[in-house]
Amino acid sequence: MTADPTADPLAQGLGAALREFVREPLNLGLVLVLPPLFVHGYGRAMENFPSIPFMHGVPQHLGVVNGAMAAAAFLPGIIGLFQVISARQADGRLSLAGFGQDTLFAARFATVGLVAAIASAAAMATMLLEVTPDAPMQAYLALVTAGLLYGLLGMLVGAVLPRELEGSLVLVFITDMDAFLSSGIVEVESPVVNLFPLQYPHRLYERAVFDGSVAATDAVLALLYLLVLGLLAIVVYARLTENGGVGS
Amino acid sequence: MSAEPVSPPGEPVLVGREIEKSYGSPLPFTRTVAVLEGASLELRPGEIVGIVGENGSGKSTLMQILVGSLEADEGQVVRDGTVGWCPQEPLLYDRLTVAETFDLFGTAYGLDGETIETRRADLAEQLDFERFLDYRVDHLSGGNRQKVNLAVALLHDPDVLLLDEPYTGFDWETYLAFWDLTERLLADGTAIAIISHFVSERERFDRIYELRDGTLADMTDQDPPEADGSLP
Repeated sequence: MTADPTADPLAQGLGAALREFVREPLNLGLVLVLPPLFVHGYGRAMENFPSIPFMHGVPQHLGVVNGAMAAAAFLPGIIGLFQVISARQADGRLSLAGFGQDTLFAARFATVGLVAAIASAAAMATMLLEVTPDAPMQAYLALVTAGLLYGLLGMLVGAVLPRELEGSLVLVFITDMDAFLSSGIVEVESPVVNLFPLQYPHRLYERAVFDGSVAATDAVLALLYLLVLGLLAIVVYARLTENGGVGS
Repeated sequence: MSAEPVSPPGEPVLVGREIEKSYGSPLPFTRTVAVLEGASLELRPGEIVGIVGENGSGKSTLMQILVGSLEADEGQVVRDGTVGWCPQEPLLYDRLTVAETFDLFGTAYGLDGETIETRRADLAEQLDFERFLDYRVDHLSGGNRQKVNLAVALLHDPDVLLLDEPYTGFDWETYLAFWDLTERLLADGTAIAIISHFVSERERFDRIYELRDGTLADMTDQDPPEADGSLP
């Protein structure tokens, strides 16, 4: 793979971010191997769970469905976190050299988007072995939306807390709690739960899988959440790279 | 470079006035450390200045403020022209090749593809890393990585060049090539400031400052530094 020096800054930045990503074999391994493990693990964990009246389908299927959502969210989150932490100083130098912060952010986010698309596809493919969604494309888009939300959250955590261990722990904790609370396995009545990123994409996803309908309100709220989180991440990322990534 | 320190004519291209900087934290059980307490410096076209100081004296902090990567608490920095910065640690993308690194930074500097390729070829020849252009940065030795770090700072032919320990890891041939390159840049009017924990060849510099107690003291006419880096 070679760079085209005549390409525009966005293409250059995107090409560089993608090269950085694919040249780390562990990244590709994580994105392709972990989603099937998540889906399988969640399914097996739930197969002996008793059926509860408000549950959709059999517990094992619910586990598989929720495992796909957790994988689709967690991996882009982790990749977003590590992208920002590992490249923050080089991004800062590049920004100081004149590279637009918005372009840099777009390149990083596009890579996270690619991870979200691949992880969602891998998770969905595994899920299809046991559960066939009524509306597969809607279900896939809901998974990608969850991935984009957590990708942005990972970038945000990486900018605010630039330490790999601590940042990973924060993401693991939030993702686990969010995936569980949004799963429908237990009914939780709390307005605070609605503030977690997976609430709206999960409702979208659940409807797409189990009855093939579109939860329009949840779709709008999920996109709104994505927009707000994106704006917040842009502001924090710009602050991070405006001084060359040094001393921050 | 001239054997005797001179003050080249022309308006300064970089001025730092009364720069102050402290590091601290609002958290309890931490303390605030004043690093710079009124450091001032001027750089003129075609002039080379050395800045020495003990470890932890604030040299890199001063350079980061001069280049604009760190904000001063007090004081003023005025830059008149383009600035090239070679940080102490190579701030590069590990998994990009050397050639890709130049393409990316060349785009950031606003250079066109042809200029990037020409400048990259020139710098690779002068600093002897042509055969590594297709190597990933994380596959380079420390010395070669430092060459790329330096060359990235030079890619856009800046008016002011700020170098923080630029020859760390260089072998003797590269060290000499570095000074050849520096002399050509000075002849073309580039202003250069070099930070080092000690300066071994004082005759190469127009002026030498020591950063001590947060301020810059002109040591141009003083004796060379002792072995531990401090000036007598």
